[in-house]
Amino acid sequence: MLYWKDSQEAVTAITGLFAGVANDPELGESMKKVNQLILFDYSESGPGCAIWVDTRNGKYEFGAGDPPGAPDLIMSLSADDAHLSWLNKLNPVMAITRKKIRVKGSATGLLKLAPKLKKVAVIYEQVLKELGMEDKIVK
Amino acid sequence: MKGNTGKIININLSTRSIAIETLPEEWYRLYIGGSGLAAKIFQERGDFSLDPLAPEAMLIFMNGPFAGLKLSGASRGSVAGCSPLTGHWGDSSCGGYFAPELRYCGFDGLVVTGRAAEPSLISIEGEQVTLLPAAQYWGRGTEEATRLLKEGFGKDSRSMMIGPAGENGVKFANIIHEGQNAAGRAGFGALMGAKNLKAVVVKARKKEMALADAEGYEILRGDLNGRINDALASSVLRENGTAANLIGGVYSGDVPVKNWTSNFWEEAAEALNGTTLTEKYLTRRTGCLYCGIACKRIVEVKEEPFAVPEGGGPEYETIVAFGTLLGSLDLAATCKASRLCNDSGVDTISCGATIAWAMEAFEKGDLTREDTGGLALHWGDMTAVLDILLPAIVKKEGKLGALLAEGSREAARRLGKGLDYTAQSKGLEAPMHDPRGGGYGLALTYAMSARGTCHVADPMLFIEMGARYYPEIGFEYILEPQSEKDKAAAAAVSVALGAIENSACFCQFADAEVTIPDWLALFKTVAGYEWDAEEFLRAGRRIFYLKRLINGRYGLSGKDDDLTPRMRAPGSGGEADGARFDLEKMKARFYEIMKIDPESGLPTKAALADCGMADELDKLTAECP
Ligand code: SF4
Repeated sequence: MLYWKDSQEAVTAITGLFAGVANDPELGESMKKVNQLILFDYSESGPGCAIWVDTRNGKYEFGAGDPPGAPDLIMSLSADDAHLSWLNKLNPVMAITRKKIRVKGSATGLLKLAPKLKKVAVIYEQVLKELGMEDKIVK
Repeated sequence: MKGNTGKIININLSTRSIAIETLPEEWYRLYIGGSGLAAKIFQERGDFSLDPLAPEAMLIFMNGPFAGLKLSGASRGSVAGCSPLTGHWGDSSCGGYFAPELRYCGFDGLVVTGRAAEPSLISIEGEQVTLLPAAQYWGRGTEEATRLLKEGFGKDSRSMMIGPAGENGVKFANIIHEGQNAAGRAGFGALMGAKNLKAVVVKARKKEMALADAEGYEILRGDLNGRINDALASSVLRENGTAANLIGGVYSGDVPVKNWTSNFWEEAAEALNGTTLTEKYLTRRTGCLYCGIACKRIVEVKEEPFAVPEGGGPEYETIVAFGTLLGSLDLAATCKASRLCNDSGVDTISCGATIAWAMEAFEKGDLTREDTGGLALHWGDMTAVLDILLPAIVKKEGKLGALLAEGSREAARRLGKGLDYTAQSKGLEAPMHDPRGGGYGLALTYAMSARGTCHVADPMLFIEMGARYYPEIGFEYILEPQSEKDKAAAAAVSVALGAIENSACFCQFADAEVTIPDWLALFKTVAGYEWDAEEFLRAGRRIFYLKRLINGRYGLSGKDDDLTPRMRAPGSGGEADGARFDLEKMKARFYEIMKIDPESGLPTKAALADCGMADELDKLTAECP
């Protein structure tokens, strides 16, 4: 892995991001509209990890490891590409076309979220700074 | 000949002569089929001095080599000739069921000339071709006429027909198939109407096709269908239709607002997107024959004032052309607009764009109440659009109806005002993707397209999104949409690929999953062509050049490879705010790469020689630089 020392570091940063998103009223609401259980499987290369976010029925819960049920959508990619994508440095369409991201399930929710990625990136940078991971920010 | 049948039907409606012709096999190898082969026929036989609606004008229906072969996206068909809307080369693609049925009858296409003495239809039943009176269908909308034709010719018959707009000579009248699929662009419905031809009805008796390597094709077909149908983009299209990603388009500034005066209307992302259509009005999903993507919609709107009974629903282009472009966020109104346009037989893109131009002209005072017969045209007034304006255009009724039925460029010319704020190139109204937000490369290919502004002439729209990638030929650009960098080089490949797609009559959505080796294998197993990637791309370039040569015969030159001032103005709002592309810079580089003379806009002799167009070269020596 290029950006992560180990998978735990990736889990800390990305679950930190989901917590940050919850605190943003607009993004938090947008996430709830997705109304899906999404599993991010970050085991495409190197030591893997998995993070899930559950926005079904007005919920907003997230965690690492096994999701609480069958996911509506699974996105499989490396933890490094996940980092780049949350920093808005990876064009998701291009990554899907080039098979860097594999998607299984309904992508309707993702389409709703895609325009918000810029805002997510701002929160992610902030979270990385707060976690003392500023060196991981890619400009 | 394998794959194609090699046979076309020549019909002269004036003399009522019907002749079956076998085309030279070489033409298929060089121009593939669809709009490419149609262009070859047109270039060989066309009279370039004719008025587009003259009886002698040619109307060509042409299949691709894969029609009916049970492959997703491969069974579209082309309609081509001199466009009544633009006055030069035009072609239009149509999905549905017609092309496979024609192929099962044993024909690759038909070339219609002449003018019938009375409203007529062409019936093709198996190999039997007949000309029949059609007075009972004339004047009827395409929904009713389709129903009546099925009663008369059998429910499994398939027809291409015009509605009242084509009969009345509306310049952007289209040709409709099964009430919902359209050969939408370039106004061929007006040409069909001028020929007194209401419909072409086909009904096959058998489904036999000779392939070069039937076994190899079956294996390839299974693999391709699996990949196409399982692709993420396909599932998105299936789930929520072609407007599924309207939300992304809104935020990137790709969705034009109020006659291209703005690139951003945030509320449209929720109000008009495909998910909203699914939730509010969708009753069923449907698609073209053998296509597993099934991107088409069946909808029903129960509430007034825009209630429509269950039937064909709007695609992305219609949703925007009768939505944000007209200053409306009413999704129900787009459903009704789609239905009315299809029933009357008008192209929703050109129609919406021409109305948007008229609304702005009225706002500016360029169109007065005297011109509109007292009607006030206001952004978002969809009741006036659907109840008054659209019917007036279809009937060419009153001063305003007759003016707008000419399309935006001609309407502005006749008015003597407002040409600068039309959104078109070469007279064809722009589709609903704004290059200032969507990507500057699209501005280039819009300007280069032979038929005029067109997002399906080539896959540039998808290339700039990052959805197309051909490592086998070193095509691995990572493009920034709002930049000119590498756009000319990408466009040079894109126009060749687009020419192949449109000649093979392959749907752009399905083609996203087809690699260059897949294409080569398709041509090999179906038609027996032993092409490598270079020969394949050369075929695409050859077709691209041929259409430009035809336009040259109509007097078009490099100057016509342009966009209107409205389209070239800096973007306004959202991500595209202030975005301004340098078309001249991209054009100059594109001409250089493609060996096109900037002055004449024609391919140079060297370019033609590279493409093995020796016969064209001999004929055109005097004209080519
Ligand atoms: S994707 Fe849609 S338009 Fe294309 S062939 Fe399939 S059903 Fe027809």
